[in-house]
Amino acid sequence: MSIIIISSDSYGIGRDMAKSTAEAMGYDFLGREILGRVAVKYEIPEERLIKALEEYPSFFGKSLKLWNRHLAYIQEAVMSDLLKDNLVCQGLAAHLYVLGVSHALRVHILSDAEESVRQLVSQEGISTEKARKRFNREKKHRRRWSMEAFNLDETDPSQYDLVISLSKIDPDEAVKLIGETISYRRFKPMTYSIKCIHDIELAARVRATLLERFPDVRVHASSGVVVVRTTALKREKKKRANIIREVAGGIPGVEYVEVHVINDFFRQSAESFR
Amino acid sequence: MKEQMEVLLLDDEPIVGKRLKPALAKIGCNVEVFENPAAALDRIDQKDFDVVVTDIRMDEIDGIRVLEHVTEKSPRTKVIMITGYAMMALAREAMEKGAFDFIAKPFQPDDLRKVIAKAARALGIDIDFEIGPEAGG
Repeated sequence: MSIIIISSDSYGIGRDMAKSTAEAMGYDFLGREILGRVAVKYEIPEERLIKALEEYPSFFGKSLKLWNRHLAYIQEAVMSDLLKDNLVCQGLAAHLYVLGVSHALRVHILSDAEESVRQLVSQEGISTEKARKRFNREKKHRRRWSMEAFNLDETDPSQYDLVISLSKIDPDEAVKLIGETISYRRFKPMTYSIKCIHDIELAARVRATLLERFPDVRVHASSGVVVVRTTALKREKKKRANIIREVAGGIPGVEYVEVHVINDFFRQSAESFR
Repeated sequence: MKEQMEVLLLDDEPIVGKRLKPALAKIGCNVEVFENPAAALDRIDQKDFDVVVTDIRMDEIDGIRVLEHVTEKSPRTKVIMITGYAMMALAREAMEKGAFDFIAKPFQPDDLRKVIAKAARALGIDIDFEIGPEAGG
């Protein structure tokens, strides 16, 4: 009746572990296969969604607004699936946005660094020193990605309920350990945790709907009451609030919309210089 | 035939008991309301309740202590925790210590009725309430 969210410093190892855990426990596996569904719904190439999960916007590259939208669309789809029970989720950054849900066990798998370096050496034909540098660079990259995307450091062990190092514990034992941990009563769904996950799902759905028109929108939901925060020029505030109220109010599950529009000082200042 | 559930409701805010007692009576619960945790513990020592509903944050004796007392004295009793200060760590602690369910305030009387009905089902008691699809526990 619970959810297991697995992340790892290696996507491939995390995926293998998540699939093995799902199989051992008879749970469903929720991985990047759902990106196909998101791609169809929002008419975005699937590769761009994968890129959004792996790269952050650079100064001259990917647009920040577009990146945020792609992540929001993924989040919306993942949250919808996470309302179901008995799932192992991996590779969709859910460990960074399923927060405060007590029946979600968040597991971080640390790959065997030396083994990963050896693999790089044999696959890429590079020196051990270069392979080690690349491995460390990738780790730093993941940290920065998680900070940019969700303002959380995914390499910080305190973010997780369970951290397993594959250099110390072999994968079969790790799967057993995850299975034992999820059986603790503390990870059992309860009225409160079910409410939490429904609130996160509703907020994700509302945000995904509003983002195209209002890229800076922030959404919080609780029991059908949705609080939306955004910025606008003083003269646009009322109009913007009304549009948000109308659009969000039409989303299934939304019972009341509260909108807070604060002055967009940057645009206001830019306009005053014209 | 529908049966009656014996319920003890403990919350130091009088409005909670006042509001929930009639709501639970509607589904066949005989509710004893307490605002004082010490008095509630004394009553728990005297009588076996089917369900204890307790607030968590109270002066002197908190809800976790009440939970521990009930599980020690009457393991079959289902304890439902309610709190206005819900947090993941507290929810997990309560569940680990044997709570049947954990509900964040504010909630609708129907939310508690659903959980009480689930407790009744777990105890094999037939009460006058249909559980909807989203009840936790």
